[in-house]
Amino acid sequence: MTRPALILIAALTLAACDGPLSTLHPSGPIATEIAWLWWAMLVGSVFITVFVLVLLVLAFGKPRQVQARFWTHGLGLWFSMAILSSVLGAGLWVGERILPRDDGAVTVQAHAFQWGWEFTHTGADAQEERTFDVLHIPAGQPVDVLITSEDVIHSFWVPQLAGKMDAIPGRTNRTRIEADAPGIYEGLCAEFCGTGHARMRFSVQAHEDWPPDLSDQGATSQEGQP
Amino acid sequence: MTWLGKLIAGPMLWALIFSLVYALHGWACAGQPGPEGLPPLSQSMLIGVWVLGLLAFIPLLRLTRPGAARHDRLPRLATWTGLVATAFTLFPVVIITSC
Amino acid sequence: MTDATIDPEAAERAAPLTISRTPPRRALALHRELTRVWRNDRGLWGQITAVNHTTLGLRFMGTALVFFAIGGILSMLIRAQLATHQGAFLDTELYNQIFTMHGSIMMFLFAIPMLEGLGIWLLPKLLGTRDMAFPRLTALGYWCYLFGGLIMLTALLFGVAPHDGWFMYTPLSDATHSPGINADVWLLGVTFVEISAIAAAVEITVTILRQRAPGMRLTEMPLFAWYMLGTSVMMLVGFPPLIAGSVLLELERAFGWPFFDPTRGGDPLLWQHLFWLFGHPEVYIIFLPAAGAMSMIIPVMCRTTILGYGAIVAAILALVFLSFGLWVHHMFTVGIPHMALAFFSAASVLVAVPTAVQVFAWIGTMWKGHPQFHLPMYHILGFFLTFVMGGLTGVMLAIVPFNWQAHDTAFVTAHLHYVLIGGFVFPMMAAATYWLPLITGKRRVKGLGEAAFWVILLGFHGTFFIMHLTGLLGMPRRVDVYPDNPEWVWLNLTSSIFSFVLTIGFAMFVLDLILQVTLGKRESRDPWRAPTLDWAMPIPSPSYNFASLPIPQHLGKPARDIMLALARGEGALAGAPRGRRELLVTSVGDARPHHVALLPGNTALPLWLSASIGVFVLMMLASQYLLAGLSLMPVAVLIWIWARGMAPAGVLGEVEASPGVHLPVHHRSAQSLGRSGLTAFLVADGTLFASLMFGVAFLSVVTSGVAPPVATAQSLHSAIGLAAIGVALVLAARCAQTNTPRAVAIGLGSNLLSLLVLIWLAITQMDDPTIHARDALRAALAGYAGLHVLVAACMAAFVLDQFRREEITPQTQGAFGAWRMWQRFTSVVVLISVLVLAAQAGLS
Ligand SMILES: [Cu+2]
Repeated sequence: MTRPALILIAALTLAACDGPLSTLHPSGPIATEIAWLWWAMLVGSVFITVFVLVLLVLAFGKPRQVQARFWTHGLGLWFSMAILSSVLGAGLWVGERILPRDDGAVTVQAHAFQWGWEFTHTGADAQEERTFDVLHIPAGQPVDVLITSEDVIHSFWVPQLAGKMDAIPGRTNRTRIEADAPGIYEGLCAEFCGTGHARMRFSVQAHEDWPPDLSDQGATSQEGQP
Repeated sequence: MTWLGKLIAGPMLWALIFSLVYALHGWACAGQPGPEGLPPLSQSMLIGVWVLGLLAFIPLLRLTRPGAARHDRLPRLATWTGLVATAFTLFPVVIITSC
Repeated sequence: MTDATIDPEAAERAAPLTISRTPPRRALALHRELTRVWRNDRGLWGQITAVNHTTLGLRFMGTALVFFAIGGILSMLIRAQLATHQGAFLDTELYNQIFTMHGSIMMFLFAIPMLEGLGIWLLPKLLGTRDMAFPRLTALGYWCYLFGGLIMLTALLFGVAPHDGWFMYTPLSDATHSPGINADVWLLGVTFVEISAIAAAVEITVTILRQRAPGMRLTEMPLFAWYMLGTSVMMLVGFPPLIAGSVLLELERAFGWPFFDPTRGGDPLLWQHLFWLFGHPEVYIIFLPAAGAMSMIIPVMCRTTILGYGAIVAAILALVFLSFGLWVHHMFTVGIPHMALAFFSAASVLVAVPTAVQVFAWIGTMWKGHPQFHLPMYHILGFFLTFVMGGLTGVMLAIVPFNWQAHDTAFVTAHLHYVLIGGFVFPMMAAATYWLPLITGKRRVKGLGEAAFWVILLGFHGTFFIMHLTGLLGMPRRVDVYPDNPEWVWLNLTSSIFSFVLTIGFAMFVLDLILQVTLGKRESRDPWRAPTLDWAMPIPSPSYNFASLPIPQHLGKPARDIMLALARGEGALAGAPRGRRELLVTSVGDARPHHVALLPGNTALPLWLSASIGVFVLMMLASQYLLAGLSLMPVAVLIWIWARGMAPAGVLGEVEASPGVHLPVHHRSAQSLGRSGLTAFLVADGTLFASLMFGVAFLSVVTSGVAPPVATAQSLHSAIGLAAIGVALVLAARCAQTNTPRAVAIGLGSNLLSLLVLIWLAITQMDDPTIHARDALRAALAGYAGLHVLVAACMAAFVLDQFRREEITPQTQGAFGAWRMWQRFTSVVVLISVLVLAAQAGLS
């Protein structure tokens, strides 16, 4: 394959991973760790798939003397155990690292309803600021989101910042998100919640300064109000 | 014990210990779904139950002796299955500290 | 399985089983004699009264295929809608109904009935017997499946189909957020269909454990039987949580009992736990029979024997158990503590090990043998390619942090189709092409089948491979439009185009089947030169399977070496000399002949019974609760008539199964199939009870919702009442020890007494179940207990009636044994309930 073709493929691959909701285009440390986990597991899976397919192709031929234990215990048990243990270990390690901790992170609230989001953060003068469908967070530091629901189960998800967490009536769930840089990140409701599910989008605005000055945005943020 | 009984004893024991540890953990974590860690006392309790559960496999292994015939080998294999499952699925009690 | 009292080790020490062969007779004479007894009635009516396992197994599979087509058409609508980001033609409400129905149909009306049908059709042939253990129950299961499925389809035609997703999460599916009958259609329809799952599970368990050909030890039976044994036990334990959840949710919707309502002490997560306690094992319930078919077909296609029989059985065992320890991996995002997630993550990862053991055992088998490119082999290779990838994405999804990203996205949609189509549909296509000659007696028309395979393979991977990426780019499940995300358009369009290729492939596959049935040339017996009993019979298979049942010297031999001997009546129970349907019942461990079971003949009773249950379901759907209650009367009457059909009648003398082997008939045996069946059913019933208990524990420990009001039920009156119930039921259980009319009458009396006290408690003492989930669960428990005591009373009355008719003698037990088992079960669960209530009252 020629060099330009390779470059083209690489560019296409990168472009294919892009998008405002792409988990493969992370914009914060939490989403980045998970993305790395994915790429590592993908490489491992490709190897295993090829390995199995090669074994299958080699099976077509003259009958051979085989050791049953080699297949059932060697490959079936020990080979798979070794791989699975390492994947599990990596998963638990990443999980412990990205979990919300008792470290005084900024805390905001997300309240889901059919069909929209009401967000609350502590503004200047320690005042509660309520916004609809736009969540304000500080950039460059971890933020804990306390997630609740008004009616049915929804799910809070900002793919570029972290994994999802359900909003369940009667419960308060906590999840941690973090954006590397100021900017706007897209979010959505990931749990099916009725006819308005597809439109239950929101965005996250990460600010350099915290608490942010929202005086010029006050009017627009009320738009999503039911 | 019948042969079928011996066959399912190991996995049954796993199911029992797994449910027990899961239930105890649910009880220990009930009402504190936050960033707080698991109380150390609860954690040692979970570890204790896990270790006791693993020890409970020793008499089972004695009961299911290895043998050349499939008839003897299967209960033995099943007991090992239960033991490995207990060790593998519950080892997080020693490495995870959060609720 | 508690009736496995015959110690195999003791039996092993005894002499090896020898049965001498019966002198041969003319095969044609035997065939005529048996056909007269075993065939279905003629005409359409004969289809209604049929109870034969071949007829019903095929009908299960045929009906499942029709539902597969319907579910497939729905999926085409979904793909058409998603092909562009503006969603051309379906409105959201209809789209929601369509994806809900697609999932529900494929799970409950295609996959489960398909595997039940395969088991029902194949197992008796494979094990060397003539029918399933309870032929009328087979038919009942089929009718319940058909009627339940038709109710759901009708709802779709009228635009009131379920629309809350196939896992029906509350509160979305409760009466507030889903008014109308849509959700009720799902809850009642699926529960109706599940009657057939429980029925099939009971039958399959008993058939495998008790009807193997004499001498076919458990450790030597064909692997498919091990797989189906695992499946059926999983169904006995896996379906009750779903049934419990569905009943509770229907009670909440119909009467406002707030099991899942967080504002009244309930918890939506309780539904998720109950649903996935069923839902995850379900995946393995679907996979195991398919893997069983693979384990049968691969060695034959490779002209060898299976590698690692023992390891595969251990792997099945591990799957059966482990799959009940991973349900929470569907709930990684609900806010469960990380340590619990770690347990379930580890279990979900570990379950890949037994799967890997099987996959490598199959590949090793291929290395050991000489693989040949017959059509089933194509589908087996399709299985390997697809399923391995599905398994690997499954491991990825078991990893908690990755799951937080991928959960509820198109990645999961891709994964589950890789697992279900790879792990079920490809093996089923292999199975269809392998066993079709036994069904039709015809040879395949060459060419089209191979082409269909390639089109399916291309269409499948074209549709679903790219969907992993769609999910990783953030596309959630169950959206109908995505106007803001042009980057998903080319992915979805590609999937949609290939999905039509996939559909064309399936159509070609069906066309190939039709061609074989209509134009195929006559196939000779045992076309694959198989080593199993299913091919040791004429093709197409006769209604009675074997003219004489295989005996030890017939086992472990190529089918073609023994088929003549069996057809000439050299095995056991040759022909039908007594003019009744007879089969051999053997012991659990090493299959020693135990007694001869007399099976019921053709009857329309299953149709009437399931139709009357259907009336109940329709009345519930119409919210006519009084009429629904009344419509249970005919159900009870028909069950009584059903039971009367099992009463000892006719000649009950010993039967000479083989020269010198004299066996009692089942009426005179304490270890009858009916007893084993009741044991299996009680396992399921006990799991249902355990699910309710799980609900009590979950709501009192984990849920930190609204505190319950002060209970009026926690009074001295209630305590006295509960104590009275307990004493009466202990007495009833003691009466069930003694087989005399007097003891049975006292047992009947104490059941009626405790029922009266229970009703009195419910009317005067019980708290309003609509106020708080605690009281709702107490009421549900009271209902469960009441129903069981009522059934116990009816059974005692039935036994008394049998004494009156002089059907119970020192040799024949009649229904006494069944009542004893039921009474003990009832007494124990009611006592446990009373203790739990006392503990709950004491704690609060
Ligand atoms: Cu939502």
